[in-house]
Amino acid sequence: MRHTAARILAVLALALLFIGAIMSVDWPDGEMDQTTSEDVGQTLFGDSNATGYGLVMFLIGLLLLVAMLGGVFLAKEEKE
Amino acid sequence: MIPIEYWLMFSSLLLAIGAYGVLTRKNAIVVLMCIEIMLNAANINLVAFSSYYSTLHPAFGTDASGQVFALFSIAIAAAEVAVGLAILLSVYRRYQTIDVDKINILRW
Repeated sequence: MRHTAARILAVLALALLFIGAIMSVDWPDGEMDQTTSEDVGQTLFGDSNATGYGLVMFLIGLLLLVAMLGGVFLAKEEKE
Repeated sequence: MIPIEYWLMFSSLLLAIGAYGVLTRKNAIVVLMCIEIMLNAANINLVAFSSYYSTLHPAFGTDASGQVFALFSIAIAAAEVAVGLAILLSVYRRYQTIDVDKINILRW
């Protein structure tokens, strides 16, 4: 019980530290812009073949495939 | 529109909630969920700072790099959860528990 209270206090202190740090910064005036899905798509795939993050997307797809195979291998039933 | 301070405070609170769950919970699935909450806090920061940067520097046009990196982060989190859940399944089959206090050896 005492440990739980100490953990709650530690996490509250962490949150207060973050909030204090955020409030102490003098943020320049500026509103959040309206980014559309089209902007995200253009940044992701670029306007031509040389720009964008197409290769990174490919590598992440590969990572997901490997993770899926690893998950299936780990979770499969072992034969006794 | 909502100022950036509020987004940052929101993500700080999410991070603190996730940290609390990781520190206090014993069920490994709940710990995994709390790690995901902490990852989402980081994603919110990425998107908030990207939008804020676009507003501060309109000459560079709309910059959606933060959103794209958040997408990458979500994909990597999905891979992590797939492997984590499989490991938990394997641990449960062997020890009949997923209590993180009882799983105290790192060998099979």
